[in-house]
Amino acid sequence: MENERFARMQKTTRLHLGMEATETLQRLTDFPDQPKAMDYFYDFFRRTFADGLTLPPRPAEQKVIGTMCLQVPDELIVAAGAKPLRLCSGAYAFDQVGAEMLPAKSCPLVRATTGMLHANHPDWGRELAAVVIPTTCDQKKKCGEMIATMPYPVYNLEMPSTKDSEASRLYWQESVKQFTLDLQGITGRKITARSLQAAITQGSAASALFRRLDDLRKSGGPVIFGKDIFLVTSGYFIDDPERWGNAVHHLITELEERKQAGLTVGNRAAPRLLLTGSPPIFPNLKVPILVEQSGGVIVADEVCSSNRLLSDGVAYDQVTLNDMVPAVADRALKPCTCPCLTPNHDRSRRLVELIRDRGIEGVVYQAFSGCLPYEMEQRQINTTLSGIGVPMLYLETDYSPEDQGQLATRIEAFIESIIARRRKK
Amino acid sequence: MNRFRDFINTIRISRLRFWTQIVAFLLLVYGGYLAVNIGNELPTFACVFTDQRGGSCYLMGFQHQMSLPWNRLFSGRGIGVVMGFLTFVGIFMLLNKAWCGFLCPLGTIQDWLTAARRKTGLMYATYGEGVFQRLSTIKYILLALLILLPMAIGNSFFGLPKLNHDFGVPFCMICPGRTLLPIFQGDLSQLAIDFSSTTKMVLTTLGLLVTGLFLAGAFYKKRFFCLFCPMSALHTIFHRAGLLRLTKNGTKCTRCGNCYRVCDVGIRAIADDLDHHNIVKDDCMMCFKCVEMCPEEGCLKITFLGLPIYQSTEKGFFTRMGRRTHGK
Repeated sequence: MENERFARMQKTTRLHLGMEATETLQRLTDFPDQPKAMDYFYDFFRRTFADGLTLPPRPAEQKVIGTMCLQVPDELIVAAGAKPLRLCSGAYAFDQVGAEMLPAKSCPLVRATTGMLHANHPDWGRELAAVVIPTTCDQKKKCGEMIATMPYPVYNLEMPSTKDSEASRLYWQESVKQFTLDLQGITGRKITARSLQAAITQGSAASALFRRLDDLRKSGGPVIFGKDIFLVTSGYFIDDPERWGNAVHHLITELEERKQAGLTVGNRAAPRLLLTGSPPIFPNLKVPILVEQSGGVIVADEVCSSNRLLSDGVAYDQVTLNDMVPAVADRALKPCTCPCLTPNHDRSRRLVELIRDRGIEGVVYQAFSGCLPYEMEQRQINTTLSGIGVPMLYLETDYSPEDQGQLATRIEAFIESIIARRRKK
Repeated sequence: MNRFRDFINTIRISRLRFWTQIVAFLLLVYGGYLAVNIGNELPTFACVFTDQRGGSCYLMGFQHQMSLPWNRLFSGRGIGVVMGFLTFVGIFMLLNKAWCGFLCPLGTIQDWLTAARRKTGLMYATYGEGVFQRLSTIKYILLALLILLPMAIGNSFFGLPKLNHDFGVPFCMICPGRTLLPIFQGDLSQLAIDFSSTTKMVLTTLGLLVTGLFLAGAFYKKRFFCLFCPMSALHTIFHRAGLLRLTKNGTKCTRCGNCYRVCDVGIRAIADDLDHHNIVKDDCMMCFKCVEMCPEEGCLKITFLGLPIYQSTEKGFFTRMGRRTHGK
């Protein structure tokens, strides 16, 4: 009976997920002048989400290690010969599964991720060698306990809730060192200085590519929509890094050519916006799509599924594990602007710098209802932004498609007001 | 021009430093053979005990001058002392702390020891923050002593008896430059303990002890000795006015801490200080590894008379990291 119910749930979820992905991809591609090189990413997500969520193809002996939050140092997992898979889900279909297990007012991202692991546990429970959850926000921490009972081999990566003191930095380094040792047990492969160096180089290459892509949005007429950027970075969660890198490389080449030829996507003078707050992850690209359908263009972001995920590079001083492991740990903690860290002045500083550097005219702040850290930081970010005279639109939303009409009205009004401000100047 | 700039910003300044240090070492330690002498007021350890040197450390002459009795120090003789000091300040300001990072022979020896440790795969030692703060005050005490002890030779403090002339150059007696640099010219005589007087015996014994500490310390701790260097303490007074500068644009800093990670001296402020534009700190030796390892466009800059020479760039950072199989 129980099994039957589960099988039915699994089947409908799979169906819903497929529909949701198709619908989102339909809306993503429904823009004029799309770069050709984006097709790789559209196809990738079409394939991956078509029939449930399939884990990416990989060599049979390679272990997959699921991670939540960008504080998990992927480099170590790669160095141990395993495939890191970022689990944070943006799927409403999984959100609905998770909603049955978690409180009504919890964060949709946590619900969706928990739901995804639940719906896939018969296969994934075997396939995932570990689910690594850093102790970031309360909901991620507590969902870990639930996920462990499904069962999955959950690994709690201890993280400090502040990063300013030297003590917190050392605590985190110790915790990452322990993780390095435990990873070798999980994968059965030794992490060597050489393998870690190669993994760091691989991570750096991805960061360098992302930065080049991101730099193309810095100035001039927009050559790529923000919604596409979020799709590209969502791809980094699951795709093979080499294939992903090649595809991004092609995209950059095409965009550079377009820039040279003076081609733009959408209106050349579209209001330049920045998106910050809770992370947009495929298929939940609702807000970016609405913003860009309404005539704005997202030319910068400050979210953990994109800019924050891929901006930073590891700096080590010598090729030995006892220098490189702490270096990797530093990369994951020190520049992080996650609101689970207190105080988080670095986030407002980063926003101000992005606004200055990219000529941002307005900020869209997306907070998932139930994601308290982002909801609470909204006020202080708003104060900072009004201090420098940049308008901010605060959107509290979730994964359900129901609030789209209401959101669209507010976004349109916001963009109208930015255009009106220009006239006044 | 822009392409030239781009090229400059992608080079590895550490590599440039490595070769500069070798050239400077040869010049300062062996310059005498080529009849080179670049001055007697150098703000770096070009040791006077090395016979065929290419220039002289200012501290030796400075200590000598400090042993003059007051009445002579404040007479016509004082003009020479002041001129010497101004020359020292002038030469120092030209290159600022880069004298330490690029030219100092003792610094270079420490970097060679670091390279040797690296080959063995051993981890470097670091200090906790509190220890670092406390240790870095030692150099000021040494500076005070190297002024006060010679002064007590020519003058009587508070009616106390004057010190004997064996205290003439007290810092030189314990400086590892005196014991180590002559060795490079085959002169081992400085490694002896001088039994001619009690003072000399104590000072030369201390000197050998410090030399031992220097060698062992620098092997495990990068730039171990620099934290105690009284020359660096003397620099501190003028480094803010140096012509060569390291500057930081705090608004561009993400506080990722890459600069602090690779800092050989362990200056935390380079990552956390967001307010100061001129970011050269007391213990900085201007090796510019921080600039190399900063991924933020134009966050850290090296300037000379306000003109940018080299700066941190995204491209530079990733190019260097990609190219590197590190070590050298």
